[in-house]
Amino acid sequence: MSLLSVEGLAVAYGDSRVLWDVGFDMAEGEIVALVGANGAGKTTLLRALTGLVPVRGGKMRFAGADLGPLKPYERARRGIAMVPEGRRLFAGLTVRQNLKLGATARPDRAGEEDDLAFVFQLFPELKRLEGRLAGLMSGGEQQMCAIGRALMARPSLLLVDEMSLGLAPVIVDRIAEAVRLVNRERGITVLLVEQDVGLALEIATRGYVLDTGRITIDGPADDLLRREDIRAAYLGLN
Amino acid sequence: MLWQATANGLLLGGLYGIATIGFSMVWGVMGVINLAHTGFIMLGAYITYGLFRFAGLDPIASIPVSMIAMFALGYALQVLVLNRIIRTSLLLSLVVTFGIELVMVDAVSIAFTSDVRSVNSSYAASSIEVFGILVPVVRLIAAGFSVTLGIAFFAFLRFTRAGQMILATALDREVSSLMGINPERIYALTAGAGAALAGATGSLASMLFPVMPGMGVTFLSAVFVITVLGGIGSVEGCIVAGFIYGLVQAWAGYFLGANYQEIVGFGLFLLVLALRPQGLFGRAFFGEHA
Repeated sequence: MSLLSVEGLAVAYGDSRVLWDVGFDMAEGEIVALVGANGAGKTTLLRALTGLVPVRGGKMRFAGADLGPLKPYERARRGIAMVPEGRRLFAGLTVRQNLKLGATARPDRAGEEDDLAFVFQLFPELKRLEGRLAGLMSGGEQQMCAIGRALMARPSLLLVDEMSLGLAPVIVDRIAEAVRLVNRERGITVLLVEQDVGLALEIATRGYVLDTGRITIDGPADDLLRREDIRAAYLGLN
Repeated sequence: MLWQATANGLLLGGLYGIATIGFSMVWGVMGVINLAHTGFIMLGAYITYGLFRFAGLDPIASIPVSMIAMFALGYALQVLVLNRIIRTSLLLSLVVTFGIELVMVDAVSIAFTSDVRSVNSSYAASSIEVFGILVPVVRLIAAGFSVTLGIAFFAFLRFTRAGQMILATALDREVSSLMGINPERIYALTAGAGAALAGATGSLASMLFPVMPGMGVTFLSAVFVITVLGGIGSVEGCIVAGFIYGLVQAWAGYFLGANYQEIVGFGLFLLVLALRPQGLFGRAFFGEHA
């Protein structure tokens, strides 16, 4: 039984079409990578899933419900959380305030403190910096805070947009490890949207390649990593 | 006499500050310049007048009534009217809120005529003397309540979940909605809270000024100047800028004469726009609209 299924999704901004007939499935507990070059439509796909852009056609079903008529905040309350590209923390609020705001969508108030403790355990620097204004932290710390904020909603589906962008390799490794851990220990299904194709396919179990608005290739992550065309086009290897 | 003028200015400044908080918040959070705001002040004054005149209720006791009634009106107007036009254009929201203001003023004119009314509480004429300065009790009450309500609202934004949701929506509407926050409900809450503070302002103003349908509009220039001076959306900025504005007006009246008060007030406005357009306290909370 798939947690998320997308069929025939089409999105356009005015006259310019961005996504054509996009379809994919995610089973519960999976980590799926959605990779592709800059401008392929990856972020638009996430915006369609979260309801931030109107769709021209297609069906999106999440946990048995049609997402179509639901507003972004309603989708969040049903268990879809997103780590947006560029983090987009509330810069003028503290780390703790950001994390608490992430908990708005959660179904139960009771587990909030436990989840806060879990986030602090995952990223101990957030505990140390909890009183700091989010806008004054380094990029890596901000990314940790953004992931923590999304986790505070206790989502069943976590969408991560460009988690590695602009971060040092050592930070990227830690964040990747945190994503794996969250998936393994909390059973959160993860959709990774990445320009860093190698990284995403290493973490994921399955992958989809989005090319100029269409899904062109899909399969198990290991197979995709071995394919000559993907190595040549996205990994710079021959 | 200079000290007397200074005291008068400071006492009025508190009221100016609280008159502005709601206007400034609505502007900062949703980018709407709400010209109906001064209508809420006027209605608050008439609620206090009505309860005083017909039910014998002490003006201070009617403050909660004004606040609750104006919260409901502000909330309803946001849900029924303003949420539908908020994402269209600034001009449309100006026209619509100005229209709402006119309707409120006319409705009150029909109900109460445009005669000047007054709220004469038992302590209306009493004053206390401090170091040779005469402090009217009602002005002291108005200033005290204003600052208290301002601090309470500041604490509401900072320490409650609802307050944090308002700030988050002001900072980034899109990301807030990804967090499960319904922006339209937050806008309604903000509009309601802003109107409630305006209602309290009206109740307090009714003890100090003549009550008439056009009384709200007399606050408009002060409200604009203080919003810009304090930084759009900044509660603490409103309170401090309110005192500054009150002082400047009082001194202008003392040194130059009453005719110059408005000119000096607007001179201050232009000066702030030219020298420090982000307001004295900078941008309130890195907001989208501020």
